Amino acid sequence: MSAGDRAPAAELGLLDATMIGMGAMIGAGIFVLTGLAADIAGPAAILVFMFNGVVTAFTGLSYAELAASIPKSGGGYAFVRETFDDLPSFLMGWMLWFAYMIAGGLYALGFAPNFLELLHVYGLTAAPGEVGAVAVPAVPVSIPASVGLALAAVGLLVTVNAVSTAASGSAETLFTAVKVAILVVFVAFGFLSAGGGGETSFTLQQFDPLFPEGTSAFAILPAMGLTFIAFEGYDLITTVTEEVENPRENIPRAIFYSLGATVVVYALVVVVAIGTLGADGLAAAGEAGIAKAATSFMPSGLPIIRNGGALIVFGAVFSTLTALNAVVIASSRVAFSMGREGQLLPRFGRIHHRYGTPFVAILVSAVVMLGSVVLPTESAGNVSSLFFLLSFVVVNAAVIKLRRERPNMRRPYEMPYYPIPSVLGIALNLLLTGVLVVYLVRTDPLALALSVGWILAGVLAYYALRARGEGSTPERRGASDAEPSGADAPTDTSNAEGGVD
Amino acid sequence: MDGNFRIVIAGGGRVGNRVAHILDDRGHDVTVIEQDPNRAEALSDDYVATVIEGDATRPGVLEQADLERADVVAALTSLTGTNLAVCLLVRELAPDTQTVARTEREPGEEFDRFVDEVIFPERAGARAAVNAIEPDVSALEDVTGTLDILEVHVVEGAPVAGRSLDEVSLPRGSLVVSDAAGDTLAGPETVLRPGESYLVAVEPSVVDEVLNLFRG
Repeated sequence: MSAGDRAPAAELGLLDATMIGMGAMIGAGIFVLTGLAADIAGPAAILVFMFNGVVTAFTGLSYAELAASIPKSGGGYAFVRETFDDLPSFLMGWMLWFAYMIAGGLYALGFAPNFLELLHVYGLTAAPGEVGAVAVPAVPVSIPASVGLALAAVGLLVTVNAVSTAASGSAETLFTAVKVAILVVFVAFGFLSAGGGGETSFTLQQFDPLFPEGTSAFAILPAMGLTFIAFEGYDLITTVTEEVENPRENIPRAIFYSLGATVVVYALVVVVAIGTLGADGLAAAGEAGIAKAATSFMPSGLPIIRNGGALIVFGAVFSTLTALNAVVIASSRVAFSMGREGQLLPRFGRIHHRYGTPFVAILVSAVVMLGSVVLPTESAGNVSSLFFLLSFVVVNAAVIKLRRERPNMRRPYEMPYYPIPSVLGIALNLLLTGVLVVYLVRTDPLALALSVGWILAGVLAYYALRARGEGSTPERRGASDAEPSGADAPTDTSNAEGGVD
Repeated sequence: MDGNFRIVIAGGGRVGNRVAHILDDRGHDVTVIEQDPNRAEALSDDYVATVIEGDATRPGVLEQADLERADVVAALTSLTGTNLAVCLLVRELAPDTQTVARTEREPGEEFDRFVDEVIFPERAGARAAVNAIEPDVSALEDVTGTLDILEVHVVEGAPVAGRSLDEVSLPRGSLVVSDAAGDTLAGPETVLRPGESYLVAVEPSVVDEVLNLFRG
């Protein structure tokens, strides 16, 4: 006899589920994109994050209703698969998968400059901007140090997740608690610096004028589009629903708690960052904006860590890495679900015979993630946000479609004032999508071309898979072959005849 | 249609409820149609199936279970007539979907023209009673608590196909008992050949993972 010894996944409580959502949101979003948002919208970046919180809350309600009534762990894709026909649900999965993979690239890109900043604080390297390219002996070209670091980060986390299922929910809870604690320190010292009279002491003058010269209040819209990715965490919660205790109550709560807490944390952090460094200084620091702000006002001369700012820089490094870990898992889960549903090659839906992980799904996701590291940070943010926005439009539509077509379906959580939140969710997400597309046409045609290319590739992949499927028409299954009568039951011919996948 | 089935169960009572749990453990997508509000609520608390509250013999309710995409509809209420009505409706509304009906009495061949499979759960119940009365000889279905003893067929191209057990890492809570021939116990050197069946003991929480490994 041969018994299994690989540990199964753990049960997650309400706290764990909430922390999974917060962990995915509070990471790259706030550390990486604040500087970019300030660049576009000036001090109104504070409004950018708050309005995005409001917009995304409507979609959060839709997620809560769907997750409570459909017991499947596939995130938004699973709900849409349940509701829509083959092509729309395929495209939804395809878009969500891409959004997560590009988010992985974005987080890796946010990790690199912050990591260099951390080394710089301790005098180990020159300032991030001055670190030259690293010559790779094997390759005749030299790659910039930050790209090399980003690649290394993706490679490391992909390897960890491909060969072990140990990355459990309670580790995520600890990670998130550390991140939030560091941000609380940041906010506290930021406010304490008020009245200090220093160049970067916190002052409300930095918010005046809220909308800088030459820009109108509408400038916050493209910034909202860009930073929308900072609020995608509730999709991640719904990828683990079946592991959560008492899911029909805890999942809606975890969605709302994580969203609420995240909006509060974001608002405070952005207020402090702008109030100390100023929107212009923040914009100039780009991906390392928060870290830069912190080094300006945190006390120095502390024991061990020496410079208080280093703590925040460490927070940025830690947050981007853990967020990267979360999206490596999330992207492979979407691809795995699609494989299980027969919407990607069946191989994507299989777990590895030794590691117990969705090995193929992780590796293929990793390839796209590694490729996306060459994108400029802003393009990665744009593309990822664009695809989350589009996916969330479909999720809101799924709520409406299910309410109309399956009125008798039990909904343990029903959103208040239906259909207003879903309709608003669709309208506002579409508005941001439109604004983002217009903005991309003007400033980032690369990102737009990439997005259009991915959707076209998806349509091609869909029809190619269908053609392949028709070549080996799956037999309807008879009695399940996992029953004691299995030996003589008609066995799964679809796999046997499918040949090479 | 590779990994999971989509299964609709009419009737979430004693039989339907347990069937939903077992199918969910095996990683399938389950929808249950149940008329009684209390039973419906209990089922959605268990988070094993999408629940439609209503009378499954009403076409308007039955259609909400998305029959066209279902692989199997199992009518498992305690009333043979209701179950037959549901299966006939399914034949009409979604001819490609398989039907399973539960009967109150020992079924003859009379149902064969109308449903694909007929089950008579009382026969299993009777066997359990006999097992309790005569404990020295037990029929296999009833010897375990929550543990499942499955004869699992290894599918060509599945993750474990063609690999020996020491190459494979099974989740904790699973045990390969015997090899394909069924007369020797499985050991590390046992090769899981595609097309062969193996006796596997599995705890419910890891059934879907084991089935993924064996069946892709």
